[in-house]
Amino acid sequence: MTRAAVQVLSRPAVLASYRARKRTALVAAWVIVVVALMVTLFPLLWLFEISTKLPRDAFKTPPDLIYLPDFSKYLSIWQTAGFGQAFMNSIIVVLAGVSLTLLIATPAAYAIVRFRIRGERYIKLWLLLAYTTPEFLFVIPMYVLYQSFGLYDTQLGLAFIYQVFAVPFAVWLIQAFFHEVPRELGDASRVDGASELQSLIRVYLPLAAPGLAATAILVGVNMWNEVTIALALTFDQARTVTVAVAGFRGYAAVRWQEMTAAAVTAVIPMLIFAGLAQRYIVRGLTFGAVK
Amino acid sequence: MTAIAGVSARSRSDRGGRFLVPLVAVMALTSIYPAVYSLIYSLFDWNWGQRLNFVGLANYVDVLASDRFRTALVNTVVFTVSAVSVELLLGLGLAVAVNRVGRGGGFVRTLLLLPLMVSGIIVSVAWKILLDPTVGLVGYGAEVLGFPRLGFLGDPGMAMGSIVLIDTWWQTAFVFIVLAAGLRALPAEPLEAAEVDGASAWQRFRYVALPLLRPVILIVLLFRTIDCMKVFAIIFGTTGGGPLTTTESVQVLAYRTAFKQLNMSVSMTMMVIFTVIVLGIVLAYQRLGAGRELTR
Repeated sequence: MTRAAVQVLSRPAVLASYRARKRTALVAAWVIVVVALMVTLFPLLWLFEISTKLPRDAFKTPPDLIYLPDFSKYLSIWQTAGFGQAFMNSIIVVLAGVSLTLLIATPAAYAIVRFRIRGERYIKLWLLLAYTTPEFLFVIPMYVLYQSFGLYDTQLGLAFIYQVFAVPFAVWLIQAFFHEVPRELGDASRVDGASELQSLIRVYLPLAAPGLAATAILVGVNMWNEVTIALALTFDQARTVTVAVAGFRGYAAVRWQEMTAAAVTAVIPMLIFAGLAQRYIVRGLTFGAVK
Repeated sequence: MTAIAGVSARSRSDRGGRFLVPLVAVMALTSIYPAVYSLIYSLFDWNWGQRLNFVGLANYVDVLASDRFRTALVNTVVFTVSAVSVELLLGLGLAVAVNRVGRGGGFVRTLLLLPLMVSGIIVSVAWKILLDPTVGLVGYGAEVLGFPRLGFLGDPGMAMGSIVLIDTWWQTAFVFIVLAAGLRALPAEPLEAAEVDGASAWQRFRYVALPLLRPVILIVLLFRTIDCMKVFAIIFGTTGGGPLTTTESVQVLAYRTAFKQLNMSVSMTMMVIFTVIVLGIVLAYQRLGAGRELTR
């Protein structure tokens, strides 16, 4: 600090008002944070509340805040409207989809970080544009293609088309994590006679493992939550959990208690992920650019 | 020494191409094949059946002249501009506030990012209940405060605003998380120097922090804009595009055209035009320097 600033700050009155302003700012920050938390959490809590209220009580205004919760729908939904099957389908799609993504994106990110590749800029631009493309541009041609190859309404077909957004996203993340591996380590393993593939598997993969986990989680969450493509490319055999939730609308009336119980059931695994992998998710969302 | 130099030189050579073969193959099949297919079939008249007539650019003329398509395009742009600006302002404010809180900030961050983990369909279910004109809690709360009964998603004048509100609840956390991380990563020296020079908190934020944050803000804007232009799930799950066509986005219209009216070639024409617009926006953002780290 300059001497002038020290002199200004050491005057007691100025210092007191400076402290008071700091305190006001802190209180204001907390008020904003508490309001944001209430607005953020309330709709999720309300979803849960509706799922535990009998139809006649669910939509009273003002609502009953004290009531006997009814959890019966959390059991019955598994037998209704193919929800159990849809839940299994989503698990299969996510496992197959994420494995495929990592298998494709990891070597690609390694090549981008380790080598100078001809046309690299254009490949990266292609990834950005493919990621950006609105879903229905590729959904309709894929619908026709899948119909003729027997991939329509299959978990595998869905896991495959998801690569169009998952691969670019995963390449961006993994490349950021690989950049943190000291170059010399890779070079040293090559000097010791390892092939490029061995150097990827023995040096880069172990060191970037947390980053790969973060990538897998974020890609998996996106696939689990995806609606647009799943709606168009599945019917009932491979229907995913999000599409099944929408299915509780029925023909005559919406079965709100079942629909909300299904929605809560579909959200819970993702909320657990968010809790366990908070740090990785933040790194992932910022493309590893910020720690 | 020479060995190391030799390896490095080889590492930088062109042999990395084979590591990209799976990526190029899969991306070609999932992005280039459908794009070319759509381009070709948009020149035909085709509706699932045997009839397949070459019509040249007739579909393009029809779609561009159609009021419904133009309405959907305007709706999509209005939605994107409103949602992205509201989310940017709220997310920035929240980022500043949470970074001030210090102790407990990590836990707060985890709770605030929960909406990002929720599927658009489930977001729709929750908000359809909350915004219901007769039994919804938001309307009830407004009535208690002395407002008249509001229609929200069912009111042609309020439906689009309600969709923006829903998206704001859902996606502001993305803006917040990225900007909060960006703010924490700012170098301390320029901010301290400005403080010593007597700049107020607002001046330090406006003239020092914000310009330094520009690359982070640009990438947030890029991703939110892309995402909002593609809006589908939260409209499909709430209004389905109504009342009338007041919330019909381009993707919702394309879905209806293809899967309800079975007008495949018309739907593909819409998507070709729309994709050109969206990719144009992305390239414009690139010009501004957005997402340089992704394409460098």
